[in-house]
Amino acid sequence: MLRPPRHRVDPRARRWWTLQALLTFSGPALLAAAALLVLSALLFAGALPWLAPLVLAVLVVPALGYLWTMPRWRYRVHAWEVGEQAVYAAAGWYWRTRRIAPLSRVQTVDTVRGPLQQLCGLATVTVTTASTAGDVKIAGLRAADAEALADRIGAAAQLVRGDAT
Amino acid sequence: MTADDHTPWRTLDPRTLAVHCSWLGAPLGSLALTALATGGRLDARAWITLGAIAAVFAAVTAAGLITYRRTRYRVTADSFELRTGLFTRRQRAVPLHRVRNVDLTANPVQRLFGVTVLRAGTAGSGGGGSAGELRLEALSRPAAERLRAELLARAGADRHTDPLLASFDPRRLRFAPLTFWVFGGVFAVAGAAYRVLHGVGLEPWRIGFVRRAFEDFGDSALWLTIPLALLAIAAVGSVGAVVLYLENWWNYRLEWTDSATLGVRRGLLTTRAVAIERARLRGVVLREPLLLRAGGGATVRAVAGGLGDRDENRRRSAVLPPATRAEAVRVCGGILDGLAPDALPADRRLTPHPRRALRRRTLRGLLGVVLPVTLTLAVLGALLTPVLLYCAAGFALVAVPVVRALAHDAYRALGHAITGPLLLIRSGTFSRDTVALNRDAVLAWTFTDTPFSRRAGLVTATAAVAAGEDGYRVRDMSADEAADFADAATPGLIGEFLYRVP
Repeated sequence: MLRPPRHRVDPRARRWWTLQALLTFSGPALLAAAALLVLSALLFAGALPWLAPLVLAVLVVPALGYLWTMPRWRYRVHAWEVGEQAVYAAAGWYWRTRRIAPLSRVQTVDTVRGPLQQLCGLATVTVTTASTAGDVKIAGLRAADAEALADRIGAAAQLVRGDAT
Repeated sequence: MTADDHTPWRTLDPRTLAVHCSWLGAPLGSLALTALATGGRLDARAWITLGAIAAVFAAVTAAGLITYRRTRYRVTADSFELRTGLFTRRQRAVPLHRVRNVDLTANPVQRLFGVTVLRAGTAGSGGGGSAGELRLEALSRPAAERLRAELLARAGADRHTDPLLASFDPRRLRFAPLTFWVFGGVFAVAGAAYRVLHGVGLEPWRIGFVRRAFEDFGDSALWLTIPLALLAIAAVGSVGAVVLYLENWWNYRLEWTDSATLGVRRGLLTTRAVAIERARLRGVVLREPLLLRAGGGATVRAVAGGLGDRDENRRRSAVLPPATRAEAVRVCGGILDGLAPDALPADRRLTPHPRRALRRRTLRGLLGVVLPVTLTLAVLGALLTPVLLYCAAGFALVAVPVVRALAHDAYRALGHAITGPLLLIRSGTFSRDTVALNRDAVLAWTFTDTPFSRRAGLVTATAAVAAGEDGYRVRDMSADEAADFADAATPGLIGEFLYRVP
């Protein structure tokens, strides 16, 4: 059996994922719900009895549910570990993926900090291999940790020659 | 690059310029059709089109001339160098050992002018776009053949016993109608024809004989018209499929052109020659789409690196047209022979997957297809007309057994095994694919599950390779065995992350 990776990501990642949820789905959904309800209250008051439950069920509940569940669930799943031979990362929430790529097959190590991540002081380390199905992404690391991790993986990958396919 | 600066630079073939002008055919042809249809009178729109064509023609010719004048290439002792560009001069050099395959293609116009496009794929061109690909458009045929030989001229070790694996065989034509294109193709062609007619200003229903045929048969004898129409579509589709087969696979040859290169050559109007380097060959896929499987046929694809993006890869990786299953297995063996002499993906016994995988498939079919359609029909029936209620009941009665049969078939397809140097994976019902991968080529493992699959004790393991479709999935295998299987297939890769059982 595969054991989970040793290290959790930074706790602030939850805040980052919450912001992400707000920007991508929950925020727009809640805004749309509010707009619909206000408009119908002002213009078609008669529609409210059936529109309000509909909006609640289709927009408000999923939006709040996603906002509440996704970051916590992700934080429980996301983890990483660099072993002697390979780098190992777990990610996702509903679909959980655990990926292991050997250091000898690493092609590049990228550290990316998006605007939201900069706000939270986080970074994502992406380890690419020659196959797109073999790229390992470790999201939500503390910025300083990410730098160190990228250096460490890069140094380990340097030891192996060849074109790593 | 500094090794020798004395190798002379070579240029493209000047006939490329003539080929560049070939795109004029389509717009000029449609314009001529319009002129014919309107009796030679061209309205303002036609004149504007003509003007636009002339302007674009001038621009394209200028661009083609610049490309032709500014493109230079040469092969030095250790690299392939290419210079292009007018304002930004680009010089690219690719070490010869990085060249994965060399592909010669020529469309009908290029064939007419005796030129061919050469593409050299390198290690980087698998991921996205043409970043790692060198493309020469176009060279004369002998020059292209010579350049390919130069690029691939690296000494191989041993000579293969029988270099020719398969060649064109008219008996295989019987499998041509067993492809999706029988029905889909007819509709696609009809749609295209309608668009062309519409484009030149003709509405098909206004043509006399179409309308008369419609009036004579359309309403009066529906029980006769529908089967006749289906029969006609099947007949036309079969002819189309055979024509398409001939266009794609005429003059087909699959052979080890030398000890290190697998060559595929095929095509009637558009010829295609793909050379796959043995070192980049990671395995094969034996594909059995539903209809073809019913007819006892199969096709073969190579899993090789550097064949381009997903779309390109699909076109270039085909190494055997629809043929008998026995022949497909033989070809798989012939290709894998190059990888590993003792492995054949014949009907070896594969490890079946847990029964829970069958339940998942049945449920997925019932919840994903039967339930939504039945519910929609039932709700519409309750609101509008009771006829739809009967439709809903009828659909459910027919669909449930069909879904169950397909789920059983999908479940029976599931299997995995390790044999010698190969990893075997089988899955799929609409297209049953048996993948044989070189175990050394697996460069990462991914395990995917959801709360539901975890409860069922199932996990999908994905083997990543730098070739073909990049990831090959072992769907819904037992969660207890997945990690051990991956560990056994690629020793040392995931071992340090397993629970150690004392």
